Amino acid sequence: MTEIALDLSEDVTVLRRARRQRLQDVAFRTATLFFAVLVLLILGGVAVALIDGAMPAIRAFGVGFVTTEVWNPVTDQFGALAPIYGTLVTAAIAMLVGIPVSFGIALFITEMCPTWLKRPLGIAIELLAGIPSIIYGIWGLFVFAPFMQSTVQPFLIDTVGQLPVLENIFMGPPYGIGVLTAGLILGIMVLPFITSITRDVFETVPPMVRESAYGLGATTWEVVWNVVLPYTRTGVVGGVMLGLGRALGETMAVTFVIGNAHRISSSILAPGTTISASIANEFTEAVGDVYTSALIAMGLILFLITFVVLSAAKIMLIRLQRKAGA
Amino acid sequence: MTTTNFDPTSGRNPAMNPAIAMSPTAGLSEGRTGNRSRAGLAEKISVRNLDFYYDGYRALKDISLPLYDRQVTAFIGPSGCGKSTLLRILNRMYDLYPKQKATGEVLLDGNNILSPKQDLNLLRARVGMVFQKPTPFPMSIYDNIAFGVRLYEKLSKSEMNDRIEYSLRRAALWDEVKDKLRQNGMSLSGGQQQRLCIARAIAVKPSVLLLDEPTSALDPISTAKCEELVDELRSDYCIAIVTHNMQQAARVSNFTAFMYLGELIEFGDTESIFTNPAKEKTSEYITGRFG
Amino acid sequence: MNAIYLRRKAVNRVALSLALGAAGFGLFWLVAILWTLLFNGLSSINLALFTENTPPPGGEGGLLNAIFGSVVMTTVATLVGTPVGIMAGTYLAEFGRGAKLAEVVRFINDILLSAPSIMVGLFIYEVVVVRMGHFSAWAGALALAVIVIPVVVRTTEDMLKLVPNSLREAAAALGAPQWKVITLVAYRAARNGIITGVLLAIARISGETAPLLFTALNNQFWSADMNAPMANLPVVIFQYAMSPYEDWRQLAWGGALLITVTILLLNIGARVLAGLGTTRK
Repeated sequence: MTEIALDLSEDVTVLRRARRQRLQDVAFRTATLFFAVLVLLILGGVAVALIDGAMPAIRAFGVGFVTTEVWNPVTDQFGALAPIYGTLVTAAIAMLVGIPVSFGIALFITEMCPTWLKRPLGIAIELLAGIPSIIYGIWGLFVFAPFMQSTVQPFLIDTVGQLPVLENIFMGPPYGIGVLTAGLILGIMVLPFITSITRDVFETVPPMVRESAYGLGATTWEVVWNVVLPYTRTGVVGGVMLGLGRALGETMAVTFVIGNAHRISSSILAPGTTISASIANEFTEAVGDVYTSALIAMGLILFLITFVVLSAAKIMLIRLQRKAGA
Repeated sequence: MTTTNFDPTSGRNPAMNPAIAMSPTAGLSEGRTGNRSRAGLAEKISVRNLDFYYDGYRALKDISLPLYDRQVTAFIGPSGCGKSTLLRILNRMYDLYPKQKATGEVLLDGNNILSPKQDLNLLRARVGMVFQKPTPFPMSIYDNIAFGVRLYEKLSKSEMNDRIEYSLRRAALWDEVKDKLRQNGMSLSGGQQQRLCIARAIAVKPSVLLLDEPTSALDPISTAKCEELVDELRSDYCIAIVTHNMQQAARVSNFTAFMYLGELIEFGDTESIFTNPAKEKTSEYITGRFG
Repeated sequence: MNAIYLRRKAVNRVALSLALGAAGFGLFWLVAILWTLLFNGLSSINLALFTENTPPPGGEGGLLNAIFGSVVMTTVATLVGTPVGIMAGTYLAEFGRGAKLAEVVRFINDILLSAPSIMVGLFIYEVVVVRMGHFSAWAGALALAVIVIPVVVRTTEDMLKLVPNSLREAAAALGAPQWKVITLVAYRAARNGIITGVLLAIARISGETAPLLFTALNNQFWSADMNAPMANLPVVIFQYAMSPYEDWRQLAWGGALLITVTILLLNIGARVLAGLGTTRK
């Protein structure tokens, strides 16, 4: 303890240690870089694996794969039109239900609800977002579908089903399971996702902006409609797209209740199928390379659709973030 | 311009070491500081024609000045004048961030630390730094101090205990924490945390201490304690302190550098800077007419 | 009180009532789901559920092998995915500031975060199951690991970014090399947050079904062989719920409740831990 200051630059062991630490620095940095690149490789791997697996089907059916409805494992004829149609329709129904309701919940949480309820409600929504989709599926199968069959669908058939044009969309019989049921369950399932993003996005509005609008005598609704929404538009759309991405790719909540029928019906009460439901239902039972490959090719289509939707969502959310940060 | 041979350390610090060899004050731009005899002072750090750029913006302009061993040099000036930037060059802290560049020379014991060959970690082990806000690590008081020591030395348990006691004593914190060395460093009060950070810097046994507004986040009592501590440490280290509190500069330093808009306006012994500044700008700042 | 103001007030009232109605409607269904789950699940929770293997149709049994399989595969997936995620997140937060590569990785990671999990199943099927020639618990665990990674990457980056730069500077000022600054100081400061992320990732994969359907497959019997198909709760629930047998359906409800409770507990634990982290600052 005699010396106050050590002269490290003379000490050989210290110099050696310093050199080792420089090497360790480089090693650590390279390792983190490696794993970061691995994340890219995973997505790239998914794409490559899907393309590779889809090749036999693409070779066999070409573009016709996405335009034909036939799905016949016996003759090895496969077309993805019905699942693509089902995927889009169920997702559309889900959005039709999910968007206004999530918006209402987010509006309620941010603008109307008493302070003491804000946090518990927000936490409850986030907890609900964590419930796995298989729970929604099993509930849909045992509770919701019978309810649809006994109550909602007969009602729809008897009322809107009697009107011109609409009669095609709401044509009986009431199966319980089917496109509408799957879409509605998806709608309930995406509620927590869209709600929590919309709420977060609403909260990026600076309090001053909000308060100045209130300060002019605006009503709550006017503040939301004229100030909060325009301010957060890109973020809200981003949140909705994220929800859409979920709905498009969701497997288990749909598989239970869609009926797995490879056909396109005008009626949304009829059974149908989606891309992911077909894969989940048939993949392990698929015999023959072409059958398996056709299912993987559908996975590739799903990959492309969700990639576009999720990228768009992400870009919009980044834009909002930049705006909030600026 | 005063030309008296005032020794800023006399009377204030009788324990000051006799000089080793007097370095030429070659880096000083003539006319700025005058030719003052500083016999008996060793030049620990020499800053020569230093320029600094943030992403192309020139934040420091042609700075030259010495930092003497076993002396306290204060950097004063309005915010944004570059005083903290200068301090962060002395241990090359700026290297942590991209797009920052220093040109010129900074000699530490005769070696240019701006040279690309300089090992940054070793440099920083020799040049301790204490920051504006206390920065205790999220670990025990003991580990906070041992952290830096373990980087370059392999000490036995008892040696480490000694080192920790030594640094805490020097930082005037030992009596307050000796019974709770295993407690989290973040549980201390602000003033104690700052002294812990000083102890942590001392433990590594540096020869230079950089203090970047070390008391700006502290209450008056803790500030007084820290200033006392700086006075204590003066006898062993070359200390550079950035402060926006002119009274503090006057109280603790032997030399003062006044900076303005990235330029060194005036450097000299504290007494003359505060009583008889050579430059109009300095006296305006000191008397509180701007800044 | 002029006419315009009265109209505005009316519009406001209608709009807010609709919002209230929507909130009530949405929450009603979510509560309804939890309620039926509790109602149906509780009746099948008994000791046999945890001590007996999955039964043949019509027989008595429990979910022991499925619970075991789920725990094993979740554990392996977490052990594989967490280090990868932490390292990649470290790159994004510590080294990749301002780098183009980091921006790309961040973007792709967020896509992976919400990508349909069934695609992960297909991916692992193609690269592992096809290569090995058979379904296996390894494949299942790997598929789950792929889902763990983006969650951990995201939280690790976010949490490291919350660590003040002054702390890093302070450690560097003592002469610490960057990797020690990160591993000894930044990780420690972000520890609670990172653990929170891992817990959320575990919660996420404990209920994932789609990636397991054609990787781990299922196994009616007890199996601890990672190289063979392994039973797991989600797939058992799927198969039993879709079956025509009342006993199997009951077991499916029990398993569903088990999973949900586990996930809720993990989520709550993560939240509590995250809360601890913020109050200490």
